[in-house]
Amino acid sequence: MRNTACLLSLLLCAVLLGTSLAAHADSYEAALPPELSSAKRLCDYAPCTEVLPGATRFSERMGAPPYVEGYRGDGASARLVGYVMLSTDITDTPAYSGKPVVTLIGMDTAGRFTGVRILKHSEPILLLGIPESALIDFNRQYIGKFVGDNIEIGTSRPDEGVIGLDAITGATVTVVAQNQVMMTSGTAVAQQVGILEATPRPQARFADPAGTPDWDGLVADGAVQRLLVRRRAVGLEDDGEPFIELWFGALDHPRIGRAILGEHGYRSLHRQLGETDHAIFVIRSGGAESFKGSGFVRGGIFDRVQVRQGRDTFTFRDLDYQNLYDLKAAGAPAYRESAIFIIRGKGIFSNAYPWRLVFLGNRVDRATGERTFANFDREYWLPEAYLEGGRPVVERPDPTWLKIWKERAPAILGFVALLLATAAVYASRDRLVRRSTHKNKWPVNGFKYAIWVLSIGFVGFGLLAQPSITQVLTWFHSLLFQWQWELFLSDPFIFLFWVFIIVTVFVWGRGLFCGWLCPFGSLSELLFKLGRALGLKHLQRTPPKALHDRLKWLKYWIFFGLLAVSMIDMGLAEKLAEVEPFKTTFLIGLFERSWPYALFAASLLGLSIFVERPFCKYLCPLGAALAMPTTFRWFGLRRKQECDSCKACAKGCGSLAIDRDGRIDPRECLLCMDCMVLYYDDHGCPPLAQERRRRTRDGCDLTPIGADGYYIPIRPVPADGSRR
Amino acid sequence: MVDPRMPSDPVVPSYAEGGSLARRLAAELWDHLWPWSRDGFRRHKALQAAGMALGLAASTMWVIAALGHLAAGAVIGAWFGWSVFEVLVRLGAKPYVKEGPWWGRRYRRAGPMDMLCYVGFKNLLIGASLFLLLKAAGMVVV
Ligand code: SF4
Ligand code: SF4
Repeated sequence: MRNTACLLSLLLCAVLLGTSLAAHADSYEAALPPELSSAKRLCDYAPCTEVLPGATRFSERMGAPPYVEGYRGDGASARLVGYVMLSTDITDTPAYSGKPVVTLIGMDTAGRFTGVRILKHSEPILLLGIPESALIDFNRQYIGKFVGDNIEIGTSRPDEGVIGLDAITGATVTVVAQNQVMMTSGTAVAQQVGILEATPRPQARFADPAGTPDWDGLVADGAVQRLLVRRRAVGLEDDGEPFIELWFGALDHPRIGRAILGEHGYRSLHRQLGETDHAIFVIRSGGAESFKGSGFVRGGIFDRVQVRQGRDTFTFRDLDYQNLYDLKAAGAPAYRESAIFIIRGKGIFSNAYPWRLVFLGNRVDRATGERTFANFDREYWLPEAYLEGGRPVVERPDPTWLKIWKERAPAILGFVALLLATAAVYASRDRLVRRSTHKNKWPVNGFKYAIWVLSIGFVGFGLLAQPSITQVLTWFHSLLFQWQWELFLSDPFIFLFWVFIIVTVFVWGRGLFCGWLCPFGSLSELLFKLGRALGLKHLQRTPPKALHDRLKWLKYWIFFGLLAVSMIDMGLAEKLAEVEPFKTTFLIGLFERSWPYALFAASLLGLSIFVERPFCKYLCPLGAALAMPTTFRWFGLRRKQECDSCKACAKGCGSLAIDRDGRIDPRECLLCMDCMVLYYDDHGCPPLAQERRRRTRDGCDLTPIGADGYYIPIRPVPADGSRR
Repeated sequence: MVDPRMPSDPVVPSYAEGGSLARRLAAELWDHLWPWSRDGFRRHKALQAAGMALGLAASTMWVIAALGHLAAGAVIGAWFGWSVFEVLVRLGAKPYVKEGPWWGRRYRRAGPMDMLCYVGFKNLLIGASLFLLLKAAGMVVV
């Protein structure tokens, strides 16, 4: 029969796959021409006219980072109408899938966005859950907005100068990443073409502590920094050598300049620097890759290194380059390539503030061979002692995930309170079940029903925080391939829920989550209870135990199947994970979703009125994944010896988790507490009721019931009063 | 008579009774790492021998990986294959799992699913730690 379960799961997967593939998706993992990221004529390979309406002719890629100019008309009458940029030329910000959303962006000469077009994305949620049109609608919000505005996801805050954009419900991470891509790309181009004026920064006043440090001293001070890129970071096989190892530092600071160039060299450099110029040195001590680039041409731009400070980017042309022949600092590493770059700061760059040296490279996808733009950077900030008055106070913007946590603080507090309250209620189960009887379970159920209602309304529909098997698969992958805390932290509710789930599964088993807090599970059982309350009891059925014992394996097969598929193709696994009706129920809504999914979810919910939690019992891969570690939960439920022959609890167990020997299968038990109520109920538990009757008949006291589920024995006190 | 207080019949591995804490912990660690038992050997010689061979192969795989000659897929595949075999070996040689808190001394007979959960979880932890270690050392490529 396990084979039947296996077959059924395969069938289910096939049906789901069929419907999934039928789902329409334009740019999901679209194959893009390789020239798109490398050809000079970008617009020969990208629909530039769509994002810059009115332009009839486009230039070649220009600038660093690159963009193209769009003109209307030809020859002398040609008029510049705006700029087009490819997001992956400028930033490699990953979205939820860990891969960037390749976006073509148009901007007019006044710095207003004129069009946005997604060329390729790998976001599973947009493939299956949320229609791609949602992202198109989201992007439409940028049109007409000025690149220099403070645009954020969320509500507008005019007093703080923040323009808010409506997020896509259920795809927060994707849109937060997309906003970052839009703003970074737009700003990078707007600054190059002079639309955005950079704000000047107060210039550094150098302190010059006595003595000339050697190389190790400079490194220890933080006056020289290392930027290391490993081969695997760019998709190459590791061979022990780094892809590139660079050391760099500010050279216009006298202490560093003298240590690196010697007194004479420093003076000569200093003489050449203009008033607003700054110099840095870079050496390559490891790796075969050149940081100057092999394709460097006279008059051109060094396209592999740049300096960024805040939103400002500083690139280097041939005139900004000088040879660095010799490093005077004792103990400096051997190097294969060296350079002095002059930053034409124009008062915008300042050594008093942190800046980053950026190495621009390509990452090769090992599976597809596709190259994508990737940059690697390292922060540099002159040490406190090197600046007169020390480092100025710098307000760094919060990372995106922190912004989300701050914005949603009240809801997060409410959610945490719910989790803690549920754990507290369950931890007090002994007291609650003792107060209940098989006829009145309200002391337990009152709490449970309230938690169900909150989990459905607040957690499920409100916060969209329904945990899913896809998260387990994503973690599994991240653990093996690339762990990104950012990614997990960006959804605070799911993150906190998982912390709670992991802890409680090991302490009590999956039942606390599944039986009390899972939004879908709660909805499912609530429908069953409602059905009963509305007089449908005569239509409600419990599957025969023998059949249940065979069918329950189905969910494990589904889980294993998904895990195996995810190893080969994560995208496919995400599609197959549609076996969970969670997205349809909570994220998108039954009436918003295409009919095969809506029908599937509605059928399961409909069936739940007549059979208790059919999805949880037989199909839920998440339930299966959580059931497995439940084997090792620390604290199980109480039983007494007579449970082996008494069937009272087993009959009442809606999860069919009690076998004919009275043993509880912890993997199937949803901790409903019904059997625990009976355990202490001297009118409901047959052996206890028998003892009660015996004691009453014999005129003995009814002592309190102990933890073992029996009356505390009455021990006769010896006549002499001594204790035994 | 069945004891319904345990999900399956209680079992007492020899090391679980008596002995100092250090001894018991060492024995338990050995139990997690070494799936075979003398008793199991007597009963299923061929299976145990094949298991030993596979165990050796799995260990060698980690060594090769440590030498930097294996790709991630191969490591994961081999470890998964070994884990399936370990379930079979343990069901013959050490067919028990712990019941209740990890610091306790209660053991019970393991059914195939119990064993699968145990080996799956244990090997996930071992595999993930070794894998991350090798990855951090740059010895395995993903
Ligand atoms: S089995 Fe699945 S749907 Fe049911 S309660 Fe558990 S996680 Fe939720
Ligand atoms: S009746 Fe007992 S065994 Fe059954 S689900 Fe409820 S708590 Fe678990």
